[in-house]
Amino acid sequence: MIKLSKQNHILFLLIVGLLAWLVPGGGHFILNEKKRAIIIFVAIVTTFCVGLYAGSIGVIDRVNAKPWYVAQIMNSPIVAALDPLTATGNYPVYGRPNEIGQIYTSITGLLNLLCIVNAVYLAHLHRTQTGGD
Amino acid sequence: MLFISLIFIEHRQGGTKMSAVAFVIATFTSPENISTNPQSMLWLLPLVAAIAVVYKATKVPTIKLGPFLKEAVLLFGSIIVFMIVTALVLCVLAWLITE
Repeated sequence: MIKLSKQNHILFLLIVGLLAWLVPGGGHFILNEKKRAIIIFVAIVTTFCVGLYAGSIGVIDRVNAKPWYVAQIMNSPIVAALDPLTATGNYPVYGRPNEIGQIYTSITGLLNLLCIVNAVYLAHLHRTQTGGD
Repeated sequence: MLFISLIFIEHRQGGTKMSAVAFVIATFTSPENISTNPQSMLWLLPLVAAIAVVYKATKVPTIKLGPFLKEAVLLFGSIIVFMIVTALVLCVLAWLITE
């Protein structure tokens, strides 16, 4: 019984982490932290869109800018969905717009990673404090 | 309904018809013209604001508009001041090395 509870707990943490990655703020939303979730969603999505606006979707480049891509993918799986579009090389971007676009989109990815970790930690605290484990 | 009607608004651009959605999507397919002048450093301000807001959203125990805004603005100011101080120190170092 205790083992099953632990498995449920881990599954719950995984679901929270996955939700937080799928939609920025989603992990906090499921934990009933709605204000926090809205703030995170608006801040991350807006900043990500500003990055894409400045540098175009060409800043998502899995081949030539792999380290940046690793950070960008933390935003959401949408980044992976955009990747085939940009892999064709139809959206070239160089110079300052490229730098600004990459910095914006990558920093928002790392911020979302912070939010994912925070949501999972909060989920763990909620469960342990309510006697779930 | 308003959103749907906005989607189907058609703009006339250079003689060709373009829907509002296509226009918005098109803005994300070509980069902005950003030169390498000192003014381009202002692009860091929205990013710092986002960092301050998201970081504080994960840190404060309860979200209340007044205290939250105060904390976020304080962090925003701290980051900007630290960056200015760092930039000044680097400028002085560069000046000392090149003189």
